[in-house]
Amino acid sequence: MTTTAVARRSLRDRVSDRRVFLAVLVLALGAVMSLLSPYFLQVGNLLAMTQYGAVIGLLALGQALVILGGRGGIDLSVGSTLSLSGIVMGLLAQNLGLGPWLAALLAVAFGGLLGSVNGLLIARLGLPPLIVTLSTLFLYGALAQVLTGGGQLGGFDGQGFAALGQSAILGVPTQVLLVLAPMYALAIWAQNRTSFGRRLHQAGTSDRAAGLAGIDVTRLRLRLYVLSGALAALGAVVTNAWLLTARPSAGTGMELQAITIAVLGGIDIFGGRGHLSGVLLALAIVVVLSWGLQLAQVGNSVQTGILGLVLVGAALLNNLIGRRSSA
Amino acid sequence: MSTTALSPATEPSARVLTLLRDALLPLLLVAEVIFFGLAAPDFLSASNLANVVINSADLALLAAGMTLVVLLAGIDVSVGPMLGVVAWVGATLFVSGLPPVLVVLASVLLGGLLGAINAGLIVGGRISPIIATLGTAAVFKTVLFVLWDSTDVFAGPVLPVLGPARAGGVPLVGLVVLVAFGIFAYVLRRRVFGRRLFAIGNDAEGARLLGVPVGRTSFAAYVLVGALVGLAALIYVGRVGVVQATAGQELTLPAIAAVVVGGTSILGGEGGVLRTLGGLVFIALLQNGVVLMGVPPLWNGVLVGLAVALAVAFDVVTRRTLDKRIGAQK
Repeated sequence: MTTTAVARRSLRDRVSDRRVFLAVLVLALGAVMSLLSPYFLQVGNLLAMTQYGAVIGLLALGQALVILGGRGGIDLSVGSTLSLSGIVMGLLAQNLGLGPWLAALLAVAFGGLLGSVNGLLIARLGLPPLIVTLSTLFLYGALAQVLTGGGQLGGFDGQGFAALGQSAILGVPTQVLLVLAPMYALAIWAQNRTSFGRRLHQAGTSDRAAGLAGIDVTRLRLRLYVLSGALAALGAVVTNAWLLTARPSAGTGMELQAITIAVLGGIDIFGGRGHLSGVLLALAIVVVLSWGLQLAQVGNSVQTGILGLVLVGAALLNNLIGRRSSA
Repeated sequence: MSTTALSPATEPSARVLTLLRDALLPLLLVAEVIFFGLAAPDFLSASNLANVVINSADLALLAAGMTLVVLLAGIDVSVGPMLGVVAWVGATLFVSGLPPVLVVLASVLLGGLLGAINAGLIVGGRISPIIATLGTAAVFKTVLFVLWDSTDVFAGPVLPVLGPARAGGVPLVGLVVLVAFGIFAYVLRRRVFGRRLFAIGNDAEGARLLGVPVGRTSFAAYVLVGALVGLAALIYVGRVGVVQATAGQELTLPAIAAVVVGGTSILGGEGGVLRTLGGLVFIALLQNGVVLMGVPPLWNGVLVGLAVALAVAFDVVTRRTLDKRIGAQK
């Protein structure tokens, strides 16, 4: 079905594809940045930039999957899940003396567990995703603070763990090459080529139709939230390897970035429509933008507002495109 | 108790469930007062209770506004940062010598204007409320940060009724809150605007077909939230005495929590401001009692988060069970 649909697409369809627009935007943004700063196009700088994008890229991927699953799906708790998983990894490594790799593995499982709390409340009990993940946003964030008393944890510097966050293979940062890239490749493949991808879109488009087609919608959505939690925890592992400390505020505010990237990437907020490859392009845009603003010495507090504008602008854009195609 | 009542095996009657739902918050409030009254001796003293009122008056107005948009099945997660922006502007105008009445007017107007931005995006731009207000929340945070510019603004209460002043031990600001809730309770029950909010929250398409101006009513609701934030911002200034870079940001979740714990359905179309007042009292007493018991304030987020999750779970599960009962009777 997918292949014939692709074959039938006209040139006009291809040009109006969100991904073409995003790719042009990446290039345009890159051109502007390289004019503004001579450092921008240097290979070292481009690679360091992708390092920064690894963590929010993982969060955005989980977010996009949850939104694609439909029925108002959203995960506001990703930032706090990252914080809490990172702290749990710190407790395992520093207080229990586990090796960093084992602690990382357990932290990812723990992140999945946190996601399953969201998933059970949303998919099984049928509670609204917005309010469930808003309360776990505060719950997990507060727990991270409580567990450390506001301080930070360490104990990750061993067994070559720091290499995950601080080294490069063939010039590409390790966490991008070994974590972010495989995750996106896997997700894009799964979305386009597997039955999981088809079920995801069917469930996201119509609950009822998917149910009638024999899809266990509840279980599918539960899995999406578990996946989002585990990906956020993977983000925590990467952060811990990068900074070698776990801070309880590590993920604060990252839900904004994750949601912005997903919406900018063309994921329809009502579910069922959008490409994960678009999310990857949107990630590139947000990373280039943040990095450029950093080079221009625009502080984090101001960047938050710019990201907010990007989110609102992207949502407006999605509506415009959606309305035109449905009209 | 509630778990057995909820399990389908026991088949509780719709009346029992409705009763349980309506009586839950009063019961919880009584249990809370008894618990903290025994655990923290100062809890029930008149001066402590007056403190609770003074410390939660700004939150109360935010929660009243939040109730309006939750009734519409919407939400506004920008109220905290919005309050910060208005508080900075209000405090700065007041310090610069503008007459208090004009400061109040300017703050309410500015709040309404910021609310109109949300309204424009949600109603005009057809963006889902969470995305729109998440975006404007980020923008408001940045606006406050830029305005603040590394200088805290110190200011006293703009008017005595917007500060910690008491008359015979009764905090005046509590009267402002009661008047505001009284007005909104009346409007929601008796005025056309109020009934329209319920109609839209229940079924927006149905309401539109019946001739309810859905867009205009929703727009007005988000503007009203902003106006209430404007008033709350001045109460915040009177309470805290200083506007810093992150002023107000901690108030968003408690405001939503008060609405949800009060029993206004997050799915829209059911609830009211008086329930929110009950929810607010529960949250305010919880935060106060926990502090009096010597629990570190870091735990506040955990407790409020848990309260919201439990309240929503209870609301949605009872509502669905009731809907099923009604369906079965038809």
